[in-house]
Amino acid sequence: MTRDANDGGGSGQPASPVPLLALRNVSKTFPGVRALDDVSLELHAGEVHMLLGENGAGKSTLIKVLYGAYRADAGTILYEGKRVDIARPADARRLGIAVIFQEFSLVPFLDLAQNIFLGREPRRLLTRLIDHARMHREARAVLDELGLDYDTRALAVDLGIAQQQMVEIAKALSQRARILVMDEPTAALSERESNALFALIRQLRASGVAIVYISHRMQEVFELGDRVTVLRDGRRVATLPAGEATPDQLIGMMVGRAVGAVYKRRRYGTVGKIVLDVRGLTTATGVRDVDLNVREGEIVGLSGLIGAGRTEVARAIFGADAIVAGEVQISGAVVEGGPEQIVARGVALIPENRKLEGLALKRSVQDNLLVASLWKLFPRGWYRAGAAYRHARALIDRLRVTPPAPRRLARVLSGGNQQKVVIGKWLAAGCRLFLFDEPTRGIDVGAKSEIFALIEGLVEHGAAVLLISSELTEIVHVCDRAYVMRAGRIGGELARAELSEENILRLAMHER
Amino acid sequence: MMSGAAAVRLRGQWRHRLAGDAGALALRAALILLIGFLLALASDAFLSTANVLNVLRQASLIFLLAAGLTLVILCGGFDLSVAANLTLSACLAAGVIKSGLPPWLGVATALACGTAAGAVNGLAVTLLRLPPFLATYAMLWILQGLAFHYMGGQEIFGFPPGFRALGTGFLFGVPVPVYLMAAVLVAATVFLRATNFGQEIYAIGANPEAARLSGIPVRRRQMLVYMLSGLMSGLAAVVFLARVNAADSGMGEPLLLPVIAAVLIGGTSLFGGVGSVMGTVLGAIILALVINGMNLLDIRAQWQPLVVGVVLLAAVMVDLVGRGRRERIG
Amino acid sequence: MPVSASSRSVERLARPLPAILPIGLLLVAGAFFAVNGFASARNLANLGLQASILLMLAMPMTLIIMSEGLDLSAGAVLSLCSVVMAESLAGGHGIASALAASIAVGLAFGVANGAMVSLLALPPFVVTLGTLGIAEGASLVLTEGNAVSGLGSGIATLYALDVFGVPFPLLVALATWLATYLLLHYTRFGTYVFAIGGNRDALVLAGAPAWAYHIAIYAFGGLVSGVAALLLTGRMNAAHPTVAIGMEFDAIAAVVLGGTSFERGDGRLLGTVLGVATITVLRNALDLLGVESSLQVVSIGALILLVIVIDSLRKSRRVQTA
Repeated sequence: MTRDANDGGGSGQPASPVPLLALRNVSKTFPGVRALDDVSLELHAGEVHMLLGENGAGKSTLIKVLYGAYRADAGTILYEGKRVDIARPADARRLGIAVIFQEFSLVPFLDLAQNIFLGREPRRLLTRLIDHARMHREARAVLDELGLDYDTRALAVDLGIAQQQMVEIAKALSQRARILVMDEPTAALSERESNALFALIRQLRASGVAIVYISHRMQEVFELGDRVTVLRDGRRVATLPAGEATPDQLIGMMVGRAVGAVYKRRRYGTVGKIVLDVRGLTTATGVRDVDLNVREGEIVGLSGLIGAGRTEVARAIFGADAIVAGEVQISGAVVEGGPEQIVARGVALIPENRKLEGLALKRSVQDNLLVASLWKLFPRGWYRAGAAYRHARALIDRLRVTPPAPRRLARVLSGGNQQKVVIGKWLAAGCRLFLFDEPTRGIDVGAKSEIFALIEGLVEHGAAVLLISSELTEIVHVCDRAYVMRAGRIGGELARAELSEENILRLAMHER
Repeated sequence: MMSGAAAVRLRGQWRHRLAGDAGALALRAALILLIGFLLALASDAFLSTANVLNVLRQASLIFLLAAGLTLVILCGGFDLSVAANLTLSACLAAGVIKSGLPPWLGVATALACGTAAGAVNGLAVTLLRLPPFLATYAMLWILQGLAFHYMGGQEIFGFPPGFRALGTGFLFGVPVPVYLMAAVLVAATVFLRATNFGQEIYAIGANPEAARLSGIPVRRRQMLVYMLSGLMSGLAAVVFLARVNAADSGMGEPLLLPVIAAVLIGGTSLFGGVGSVMGTVLGAIILALVINGMNLLDIRAQWQPLVVGVVLLAAVMVDLVGRGRRERIG
Repeated sequence: MPVSASSRSVERLARPLPAILPIGLLLVAGAFFAVNGFASARNLANLGLQASILLMLAMPMTLIIMSEGLDLSAGAVLSLCSVVMAESLAGGHGIASALAASIAVGLAFGVANGAMVSLLALPPFVVTLGTLGIAEGASLVLTEGNAVSGLGSGIATLYALDVFGVPFPLLVALATWLATYLLLHYTRFGTYVFAIGGNRDALVLAGAPAWAYHIAIYAFGGLVSGVAALLLTGRMNAAHPTVAIGMEFDAIAAVVLGGTSFERGDGRLLGTVLGVATITVLRNALDLLGVESSLQVVSIGALILLVIVIDSLRKSRRVQTA
C-alpha cells in the first residue's frame, strides 16, 4: 500500500479551481427509500475521485444520476460552473460523461473499431457507406492514446475480460469523455491486469480527465485515489484527500447506522449437531476452497461484499451450480446432484432474486406455496384442490401473508409478502437446512422484522440457517456467528463476541 | 355459522375466480355463441342437426391433435411437428391395416409411432438442449419426409367399416370422435388439475428456473409432455384416418395452423404456465365454426389458409395484450 | 495478451467454416467421382440455375438468423410474389411494373413480419408461420389453385439470357450476394444486424433505433423475395401458387450449414453460399442416384440437427462477452 508521491496529483490538491462537475444538494427518492439525501460532490479535472460506501449506501444511484438513467428530484448540477440538466443518457454523453459498466456493452462479433464507434460509424460523404479506413484509423489512434496494442480488426469476442474493459474505456474516450465513471472495474481482473488498468487511469488523469472510481478495495483507494468521498445511507459523510485518511477511519465512516428499527435476536438457544458441512468447495463460478459449517439451532451469517461469492456458495450447496472440487455434507452424508436431489435431503434455498428464481409470478399464492412439497402432501400423486387450499390457508395464516387469499396471483403481492411465500414454500416441505440469500432486500422495515422473526422461529425448532446478507447490522444482530467472504474465499470467521460491523468490513475489504 | 368477514372473503374469492380462468372460458363460450348466432343468420343450413354434429366432429379432430400441443405449450415448450407426426402415424397405420392385419394393430402402430416421434422431440429438447421451435421444426421435415418415402406418392384407402366407425360413426346420435374428445378432455384435465405431474407442468411453464430450484425434475417432466403429445398425435391420426378413409402423405399438413390457432384462441399462453385443455376445446370449436362458416357461405377452400393465418396472428396478439408486454427497450 | 494482426484475419476467415468445409468438399468430390452424369457440363450448368433462387433466398435469411430470428414464410411469400408478377404480365403489363408489384408485395410481408417481431416482441417462428399461411392463402385465392400462364415470352427470354457468358439468373443471384455483402459490411444497417443478434442492449445504449433496424432486416427479406420471383416466374414461364413453399427450409439449412449461429450475432455470407452449393449438389446427386425427394429432405433435416449440435458444442467452448 505504498504511495508514490510523484504520482500525478500526489498531494491530493485539485488541478484547477473550478470543478468540472459539481453536484449540489442532490436528492433522489424512490417509494419508501431515500436513495440520495442532499448529496454535494465536486469533481475536478485530472483527479481520481474514489467513492466508498457499503452496499446500499447510494453509490449506484449517484452514478445513474450522473449518466442520466435517473433524474435527480432535487438539487442542481453544475458543469464548469454552469447549471445543466441531465435528464437522459444523451445529455450526459453530450457533457462528456461516460460510464464503464460491469456488464460489458460490446457486440461479440464486431471488431474493435466497430464496437468503439457503435452508433456513430463514420460514413463516406457521397455513398453513405461506412468509411472503414477512417474508422480503423481513429480507433487505432484512440487505442494508441491508451497504450493498447490491440488489432482494431480483432473481434470483441476473442478478447479477454480485462481487454474488453480496456476497449470500453477506449470507447468512452473516443466520445471525448471528460468524466469517466468506473464501477468496481477490477472486480473481474487479475493483479497484472489491474495494474495495467491503473497505469491507464493515471495516464487519463494526467491528460485532465476526471475519474469517479467506485471500489471496495482499500488498497486501490490509497494507491490510485486523490480524494475519497464516503457515502452512507444516501448521505455524503465526508470528502477528504486520500493522503490524509486511514483505512480504519474510512471504515468507521462507512459503518455506523442511523438509529432505526433493527431486529434484535430474542434469544440464542442451544446449538446441536452439524447439519451442513462444506469442505474445500470450489466451483467454476468463482468459489475457491470454501470451508464452513452450520449446526442445528444456529443462524450462521455469510457476509462479504457484492461479488465476493456468497450467492455462488449457496447455489453450489443447493446443487444449482456444478461443483468442481470439494464436497458438501448434509447431516453427515455427502450429497451430490442437482436441486432435485438436494431438496430431497431437506435443504431449502430462498434465492436472491425472488421474482425470477423464487416464485412463479403468474401462478397463485397457493400454487407457489405448495410447489416444493407436492409429493410430501400427496404421496400417491393425486393432487386434491380442497386439501391443497386448506394447506395453503394454514401456511398463509402462520406466515401472516396479506392479503390472505390463496388464489390471488403471486404477482400482486408486495415484496415482503412475496418473500414470505417463498419461505412458506419450504416450510411445507419440512426442511432442516435453510439457505437464505438476501431475504430482506427490497422489503420495508416492518416486513423485515417479520421475516427475521420467522427465521428465528425456524432455528428455535431445531433447523439450521445460513444467512447471506449485505446489511451488516442484520448479520451482527441476528446471527450466532458469521463467515466473511472475500474474492471467492473465506476471509475469516467471527464468533458472536467478535461480531461487529467494523470487523466484518475489515475482513471483507482485503484488509487484515 | 359463517361470520360476516368470512362471508365477504368467500364472495371475494368468487369474484376473483370469475376474473381468472373461469372467466376466460366463459368469454370464449360467449364467442362461440356469437359466431353461431351470426352463422345462423347468414345461412339456413347452419342450424341443421347434421351440420352442428359435423362441426362438433370437425372440432374433435382438431382438438385431439391440439390437446397434446396444449400440454407441451403449458410446460413452456412448443411442437411444430404435431401435424407431420399425425401424417406419418396415419400412413403407417394405413399400411398395417391394408396389409390385412387386424385394425387394432394399426391403431397400436399409430400410437407407437406418435409416441416415438414425441420421444425424439423430447430428447432433442431435454438432452441436446435444442430450442423447442428449432428441434420440432427439423422433426417436422424429417417426419414429413419419412411419410413421403413410405407412401411413395400413392394413396391408401378403403378400410374396414369397424375401423371407420372410429371416425365416421355415431353413438346414440353423437359422432364417435366427440366421445373421444370428451374422454381426452376429462383425462387431460384430470392429469393437469388433479395430479402432482400436472401441477409441476404448470410450474415449469410459468418459471422453469424457479421450478428447478424448487426441486422439480424439469427435464423428466418435459420428456413426459413431449411423449404425451406424440401419443395424442397418434390417436388423432387414427381418428382422422378413420374419418377420411384414406391416407396420403399430405394429410396432416393443413392441420398445423388450425391446431396452433385452436390452442392459442383457447387461452393457453405461448409463454407457458397459463391455460387449460377446456380452453383448447372451445378454441377447436371456434376454429371448426370458422371453417364450417366458410364452407356454408361458399367461400372457396383456397381462402382457408389465409383466414386461419389471420386468426392465428390475431390470437397471438390477443395473448400478448392479455398477458402484458414483454419488456423490450428500443 | 497482445492481439496480433495477421493471425486474426486468417482465423476470422476460417472460423465459421469448419462444419461446412469438409462436408461440402466431401460431397462435391463424392458427387464428381461417384455419381453418373453429375460432372457433365449440362448438369453443372443446370445446377447453377437451380442454385440461383436458393441463393437469393438464403442471403437475407442469413441476416435474419443472425438477428436471432427466422423466416418461415419466405417460400410462401416468394410464391405469392411470383403469382402477382405473373398476373401482372398476363394482364399485359411490362416486366418492370410486374417486378415493381412483386417487390411491393414482398416488402409488405417483410415489414409485417419485422413489425410483429421487433415491436411486439412476438416469437419469429409463430409470426412467420402465420404469415406463411396468409401468403399461401393469398396465392391460392388469386389463382384458384391453378397455374398462371400466358405471360408472353418476355420473361422467359430474360431468364434464358446470357450476359457475357454468365446466365442471367446466376447474375441476379450473384448481384444479390454482392448487395448483401455490401449491406452487411459497409453500412450501419449491416453493423446493427450483428448488434441485434449479439448484444441488442448495447445498440440501444448507443442511442440507435434498434427497433427500426430490426424491422428492416425482415423487410430486406421480403424485398429479395420480390426480386427472386423474377427468376422463379421466368424459369417456368408461369406461376404455380405453391411451388416455392418449402424452399425456406433449404435456405435455412444452407445458412445453418454455413456456420451462421442462431444466438450469437455471428454470420458469414460465404458460409451460406457454400451451404447453398452443398445442398444443391446434394439434392442433385441424390436425384441422379434415384433417391426421392422425401428422403432428401430427411437427410437434410438430420444434417441440420447435427450441425446445430456441433454449433452449440463450439459455442460452449468459446469465451463469451457478457
